[in-house]
Amino acid sequence: MVVNGHFMNRTGRLFLLLLGVLWITPGSAAQEQDVDFEKDVWPVFQSQCISCHGPDAHEGQLRLDARAIAFKGGTTGSGIVSKKPDASEIYLRLVSDQPGKRMPAESDPLSPEQIELVRRWIEQGANWPDGIGSDAVEVERHWSYVPPIRPMLPEVQHTQWPQNSLDYFILRKLEEHDLRSSAPAGKERLIRRLYLDLLGYPPTVEQVAALVKDDAPDAYDKLVDDLLASPQYGIRWARPWLDLARYADSNGYQADQYRNVWPYRDWVINALNRDMPFDQFTIEQIAGDLLDNPTREQQIATGFHRLTTLNVEGGTDPELSRLNQVFDRVNTTATVWLGTTMECSQCHNHKYDPFSQKEYYELLAYFNNTPLEVNGASSAFNFYGPTIDVERSFADQRKWAGLNEQRAEKQTALDAIQAKIDEGYGAWVKSIVESQVDATQWFVMDAANPLSAKGATLRILEDQSVLSTGENPDKDVYQIEFRTDQQRITGIKLEALTHPDLPGTGPGRYTAERPNFVLQEFTLHHGERQLELTDGIADYSQPNFDVNKAVDGDEGTAWAIASEFFKPHQAEFLLAQPLESEEPVTLKATFVMNYGGSRVLGRIRLSAMTGSRPTSKVPQRMVKLASKQERNEKEEKELHDFYLSRQPEYQKAKKTLAAVEKDLTALRAPTALVMQEMEQPRKTHMLIRGEYKNHGELVSPGIPSILHSLPADERGANRLNLAEWLVSRENPLVARVTVNRWWAEFFGRGIVATEEDFGSQGEWPTHPQLLDWLAVELMENDWSMKHIHRLIVTSATYRQDSSIREQLLEVDPTNKLLARMPRLRMSAEGIRDTLLQISGLLELQMGGEPVYPPQPAGIWRHVGRNAPKYKTSTETNRYRRGIYVIWRRSAPYPSFTVFDAPDRTSCVVNRSRTNTPLQALTLLNDPMYWEMTKALARHVEKSHPGDLRQQIVYAFTRTVSRHPSEREIDILAELYEETVERLIERPADLAELVGHEDKSASAESGAWYYLSNVLLNLDETITRN
Amino acid sequence: MDSNLNLELTRRELFRTGGMGLGASALMSLLGRDAFAAEPAFLNPLRARRSDYPARAKSVIYIHMIGAPSQLDLYVDKPRLREMTGELCPEDLFNSQQFAFIRSRPKMYGSPFTFRQYGESGQTFSELLPEISSLADDIAVIESMHGEQINHSPAQLFMQTGFGRFGRPCMGSWVSYGLGSENDNLPSFVVMVTGNVGGAGNSMWGSGFLPSIYQGVEFRAVGDPVLFLSNPKGIKAGDRRRIVNTINQLNREQLVDVGDPEIATRIGQYEMAFKMQTSVPDLMDTSGETEATHAMYGTSPGKAGFANNCLLARRLVERGVRFVQLFDQGWDHHSGIAKSIRNKAKTSDKPIAALLKDLKQRGLLDETLVICGSEFGRTPMVQGDLKNAGRDHHKDCFSIWMAGGGIRGGVRVGESDDLGFSITKDPVSVHDFHATVLHLLGMDHTALTYKYQGRQFRLTDIAGNPVQPLLA
Repeated sequence: MVVNGHFMNRTGRLFLLLLGVLWITPGSAAQEQDVDFEKDVWPVFQSQCISCHGPDAHEGQLRLDARAIAFKGGTTGSGIVSKKPDASEIYLRLVSDQPGKRMPAESDPLSPEQIELVRRWIEQGANWPDGIGSDAVEVERHWSYVPPIRPMLPEVQHTQWPQNSLDYFILRKLEEHDLRSSAPAGKERLIRRLYLDLLGYPPTVEQVAALVKDDAPDAYDKLVDDLLASPQYGIRWARPWLDLARYADSNGYQADQYRNVWPYRDWVINALNRDMPFDQFTIEQIAGDLLDNPTREQQIATGFHRLTTLNVEGGTDPELSRLNQVFDRVNTTATVWLGTTMECSQCHNHKYDPFSQKEYYELLAYFNNTPLEVNGASSAFNFYGPTIDVERSFADQRKWAGLNEQRAEKQTALDAIQAKIDEGYGAWVKSIVESQVDATQWFVMDAANPLSAKGATLRILEDQSVLSTGENPDKDVYQIEFRTDQQRITGIKLEALTHPDLPGTGPGRYTAERPNFVLQEFTLHHGERQLELTDGIADYSQPNFDVNKAVDGDEGTAWAIASEFFKPHQAEFLLAQPLESEEPVTLKATFVMNYGGSRVLGRIRLSAMTGSRPTSKVPQRMVKLASKQERNEKEEKELHDFYLSRQPEYQKAKKTLAAVEKDLTALRAPTALVMQEMEQPRKTHMLIRGEYKNHGELVSPGIPSILHSLPADERGANRLNLAEWLVSRENPLVARVTVNRWWAEFFGRGIVATEEDFGSQGEWPTHPQLLDWLAVELMENDWSMKHIHRLIVTSATYRQDSSIREQLLEVDPTNKLLARMPRLRMSAEGIRDTLLQISGLLELQMGGEPVYPPQPAGIWRHVGRNAPKYKTSTETNRYRRGIYVIWRRSAPYPSFTVFDAPDRTSCVVNRSRTNTPLQALTLLNDPMYWEMTKALARHVEKSHPGDLRQQIVYAFTRTVSRHPSEREIDILAELYEETVERLIERPADLAELVGHEDKSASAESGAWYYLSNVLLNLDETITRN
Repeated sequence: MDSNLNLELTRRELFRTGGMGLGASALMSLLGRDAFAAEPAFLNPLRARRSDYPARAKSVIYIHMIGAPSQLDLYVDKPRLREMTGELCPEDLFNSQQFAFIRSRPKMYGSPFTFRQYGESGQTFSELLPEISSLADDIAVIESMHGEQINHSPAQLFMQTGFGRFGRPCMGSWVSYGLGSENDNLPSFVVMVTGNVGGAGNSMWGSGFLPSIYQGVEFRAVGDPVLFLSNPKGIKAGDRRRIVNTINQLNREQLVDVGDPEIATRIGQYEMAFKMQTSVPDLMDTSGETEATHAMYGTSPGKAGFANNCLLARRLVERGVRFVQLFDQGWDHHSGIAKSIRNKAKTSDKPIAALLKDLKQRGLLDETLVICGSEFGRTPMVQGDLKNAGRDHHKDCFSIWMAGGGIRGGVRVGESDDLGFSITKDPVSVHDFHATVLHLLGMDHTALTYKYQGRQFRLTDIAGNPVQPLLA
């Protein structure tokens, strides 16, 4: 039986079934075909199935290494039904021809022979002898999916050590490992530790001194309360949250432009300072916009998910960009609130954790209903999307209201003008069309019987022009007849020509220097009837002497041509009514020129026009559009816009409106990015292999089945349900994941070391009971972060010394058991804040736009379009806390990245903590840090004038919050003395060091720069002990 | 100068700390390089490590042409396309693809340049590469590269990190992570940029989820070559030495007191920082190179630019730097390609050829893998009109080349159709390319993993095979 694998379609399966039927027909041959499970089937399971459905990974909650589970089956139905292969999911999956259903999922189908063996084995009763494989009866629920229950406090021997409940769990483990806890840290070190952990910068010398002196039993607890109540606490603790939120002030990618998102950052700081319960903190960020009558703040909170990167580079596909943002929202949500990596399920069922691809897209459906965040044409996109105004100042509000009123007025005026102008639109379009069918032609008319009222000599030349010479009266009126045999005259051209006999060649007869004419009235009579002349166009009209003033019936106005002298001019007029006649026509023309000073025409010629006046200067494109029988909306708009563009009155009104709008823009309120649901939800499809155009099954919003259920909600499934579900008391993950991250911030590693992964591939908790105790404690105390933080910092565990005993380095090198407090190098921002505080420069002002501390030139390199400029902050903004430093994703602040700050392009759960020479160079030489070095030096020099050792003690204490040892003083004193000697010998170096302008600077001042530089570079200075 | 005395703890001091006790191995690291070998990896993440199997290359110089040059004007001769110049693109071809900028059916556009075969291998190059083509027999061209992204930033990320979005480590970071450093006064992964940085920004040399010690260190052409390398005004090298000595003396006091090996590491890092203040300027100062060398590259001491970066790349690998990444911006020719690509080729052909020749004459080419690639290629269709012809982005068929360390020179991998639009034979994916590079460095790309978010991540994701015909 040779059945090619490629043809294993439905027919193939039938074929196999048929074969099967043949085989089970009674007879001895069939008996000989008995399948031996151990020999024939088990090896197939072992080699083909168990990597995904076995002891390590049990996808679909199925294990084929355990008889009971294999028979029961996984999430999709009975695995093995004895004697009924067609009811056994395992067999059906082997022969399925549906991609995604057929097993093995990620390799070639089994051979027909192997499939046949499985089928026959089932058919023959599926005998799986005892002792083969595992005797597990159900797929074990991974610990993190079982809701936490508050455990009893464990028994310990050293009952006097624990300060609060946490310590029992820690101590129990230490005792199990025969380890001693460390002694409590010295007061000074503990105070510094607490400041760094709760505020993010060290205490002042005075604060330390006062606290050390305070022997009250509750002094420490009081300090904890004070620090937790400080507004600087929110800044310290917003930093890790902003890493999760991938908070940055720019788009990322090629056009990495500025985005106004800082109101969200301020919201986080504010919420943490208010100790907003973590469940509410969650709901407002995921779905604040969907709350009833959301406040402005609640909407700003939804900025959390507007912080995704976005590519607006030319030629991108907006739908792909949107989808990438939604993927990021789903993955970030799962990481932050579920400690789960959902990303794998974008393309296929999760290999290790119980999440199917379908469940991924069901979760995605919750986030799939916000509008596109790119707009623009195919080659230039912009970032946009829903925003909300943030509060403005009162004065600005009033100004804003006034401008808004003005805008309304101007808009009304513009609308009125447009309505008027639009009345002529139809005729205008028609005229363009007509101009095409009926082209203009000109015919020179024959002149006859020229008369001058004041005796000038009028002579008809060969070209039928009439030349005026001889007598040159002050004023004059000419009457001349013109003839033509054209049968339909639509307009008249009047030429004022030059001639050598005219003064300065003309065209008028005023002076040779200024041969102007002033034509007050030009009339034409056909018989008794005066022809109405309209729409005059002259090649030139002198200001205030427009050509149409010669045909307006008012002798007080006129056409003239100063100072375009010495060249011919012409005017064309339309006849209001075309003159139609089958006979030749004679017209009597009258030229009234009573302005004075002989400003009369010197040489006149008339032509008759037939056809329509060409719509001059109308581009071909518009002629084409006007000629179309039907125009689509876009074409109509284009033509109409062109029409409007030629209406000066309209253009003027539009300009006025634009000016007001510009003022409004200049005064615009700061905005924040927010989430907003579209009225029509999008359909969500599964994407096959995660490819965005490869649509699979349609899905609706839903949550992963392994987790707690989501009660049906009459409001429908939206982000708000999801948010409430995330922080439900039944969620086994959220509280654990959250307290674990806080724990890791204090202790350097989480109780679960893989803070970002609580799934089966994550690390097992070092203290599972402690984790559960803390999780329940959080939920039962109104999700209060400050409550948990207070518990942690008042524990005996936290108050231990951080010195490393040799035994510990061998038994517990990574300090999992916490027999001591770990020493942790501070975060990039923490180092900045700490050094600013030591140097006395720290500015504690909170909130508002990002700041720009000095950085080397050329860090912000322009990419794509006009990128934002780095405008270095001056005065106090230079010394604001690190959290306020501008974060541009393509080039973050270099002195932060060198200390492991991420680029904030994606959710970061914990930063690495490296130790590099570039960090040394930064602290030694970065001009920003050098500024702090100098500031510290100046403070110290003033502190104990003349007493070097006292100065050193002061400087040292100011830096690391403890008294130096004698040896430490000696080492610094030695550098000081050497340096002073050297600088006295080399005044040029001193001048360079302190700045040439400071003539009074002494070698001693210079030496303090050295010592400050040393102090700000100590390991202890940048380390939380 | 008593730097060495200051650096090394004496045996006596070691014993003095015994009771307070940090493990001897941590302190050993202060005694010299050899001790590093015995030290646990968490203390020195850049410790030089053995590869999985014998490496063909020790270092990599990877030139990434930002913007994406046209393979059809440099490496791939398509006479049929030339004949078709001016004809409308076949409709089915046009409909088969989404283009970044082309929206209506475009005309075809053959290369305006002449092509010839060079060397014994008969490798094809256009007239724009007179120098590189003279090395035809050293170079292996992959004519059948394909990517997944049609926009610059995502494609740059894909080419650098194997993933079209942010968050993953780039190839140089993986290599540093996998092999560590063989130099103790220069970083293991150095980046140099000519022109603007690419759209994906610093993430092109970022370490993603790997510890940031593995990210590329940029050597800049303006200001300090390495950020904050130079001392503040008035602090001379001798002063800096004394300051660093004092810092390390005090840190050693603290080390003895609290026994945290991290302090020992920091002491070492301050020493290395001090050394870098000499080694980096030495590296950047090319005045010691011969006139012949400068003539070959077209460089002169103190003058920045792509050619200078090529010369510096050689100086870096010569000093044991593991991975040198060069970016050269300005290859995005959407219009006027005939003129623009000629100009770009003029500035890059000679220095790249010089780099190959220079490595060769110093015996370094055998152990240095040189790669010249880009984020994608360009269309055989014209973008805009023929008078000012440009080419649009094309991800489905483009060319890169490699030479040196373990590469079989003169081969051409893959084939494309008559129009240079589709691959017709032996497609090479970005993952294949990455697998090949790791393979040449002696690493199995499926074994170089880092566990993050519960998953063993690889540079090659879940795909990729070393391209066998490329291997010598």
